[in-house]
Amino acid sequence: MDRTQEKLNNLLDLLAMRSCQPLSYTEELELNHLLDEFPEYTPDYFEPIAALADSTMFVHDPKNLSSMPESIQKKIIKNFRSQNAESKTLQIFKNIFQTPKLAWAMTCLLAIGTSMSMIEFRNYETNYRNLPVKKALLEITSEDLIEYNWFAQTDEFCDCSGNVMWSDDSQRGFITLAGLPMNDSSKNQYQIWIVDPNMHANPVDGGVFDIVTTESPTIIPINPKLPIGKAKGFAITLEQTGGVVISEQPLILTAPKERPESTYGISQTTI
Amino acid sequence: MNSNLKNQPSKDGSVAKKDIVILDLIAKDHPGSFEMLIEKYGNLVWSIGKKFLGNQSDLEDAVQEVLIAIWKSAGKFDPSKASEITFVSMIARRRFIDYLRKITKHKSEDSMDDDNNNIHLYKESLLNQETDLALVKSAIDELDEDDQELLNLSVYQGYSHSEISDILNIPLGTVKTRIRRNLMKLKDTFATNKIQSNVIQLNNG
Repeated sequence: MDRTQEKLNNLLDLLAMRSCQPLSYTEELELNHLLDEFPEYTPDYFEPIAALADSTMFVHDPKNLSSMPESIQKKIIKNFRSQNAESKTLQIFKNIFQTPKLAWAMTCLLAIGTSMSMIEFRNYETNYRNLPVKKALLEITSEDLIEYNWFAQTDEFCDCSGNVMWSDDSQRGFITLAGLPMNDSSKNQYQIWIVDPNMHANPVDGGVFDIVTTESPTIIPINPKLPIGKAKGFAITLEQTGGVVISEQPLILTAPKERPESTYGISQTTI
Repeated sequence: MNSNLKNQPSKDGSVAKKDIVILDLIAKDHPGSFEMLIEKYGNLVWSIGKKFLGNQSDLEDAVQEVLIAIWKSAGKFDPSKASEITFVSMIARRRFIDYLRKITKHKSEDSMDDDNNNIHLYKESLLNQETDLALVKSAIDELDEDDQELLNLSVYQGYSHSEISDILNIPLGTVKTRIRRNLMKLKDTFATNKIQSNVIQLNNG
């Protein structure tokens, strides 16, 4: 068997495993490496067929069927309704945008609001006001929104989760994080990096932030220090207070998991 | 099949239960669509979750997360790419696997008391609506008995490859190769059956 076939079989083994069980950290790394070599395969290559086979086995074999207890169904519906009620404001926004009669009026208001918030957005002190609303607004209004989940680059941060949302057109975005340890802001701060390999040789500084609580997920705005053409990836490092221009620290989290290929041949382990 | 036409709500806002594509309704913000999602797929999600997580308190939280994730993803559902049940169970499996990794707990063998009153209705509802299930069942039936057993342990019962190696007392490498080949074969056979089924449907008008 030649080396390429061996690698392909290895990739398919890992994809088959991924569709049925959690992979270890090493297996995840190996899978990502192999996916880079065989871009025609996607991480979910076997997932639809595994899901369908799974459902078939449940449905065709009565002894395997379980009914969700009614009390749990009721609890889930109750929780859903209360969560849904909280997002009513968001729903109102959505409805307004879907109603042609109000579209023009809202566009004018939004234009004014966006201009004002742009001024406010660049101000560090006001940057952290009304973040959930700003995030929701970006989500509704951006046509080019991209969203990635964060992936820990070391076992130490494997409990971290969350995502990053970014719009090239708006030149803004937000990250949501849970599980990142609190930092001592007098000694160090977390720093966001935006990877735009076609426009910038080095990742662009996206601002620094502190984690002041581990109780609930934190929303942080991304403030690029240079214009971004097309963001291909994001990363977080822990730096000296105030941040740095070029980092030499190891990556803590990345989104997506593997760094997008750079036209400038930057190393994958440091920014 | 034009699912949009099939699932138009009537003037009073009600929807005929037969052949309902729940994800379409969710995407259109139809009132009560989350409850309908639970009615149609709650048991499937629960069963998949129970297989992966076992533990009741984790299971409740995870099932809730999964159902909300399906509800939020409904707009991405494309019936030309996958059937509704594939979409639902794919999200469920991926979320439960991620959840399992997050809590880093091993699957529990603890049995749980079930309320099986609605199982018959649940099974009927899924069987009636999903021809894909029949197609993939026929693809599974084409596999050797040994391969079916492997698939059963891996995909359905949720054992890891190394656990299967221990259970069946065969080398880990062999388990990996055979499961990979079985999934490839299943994927190919299902795709072929699907094309044939579509051709038959077209010929029948």
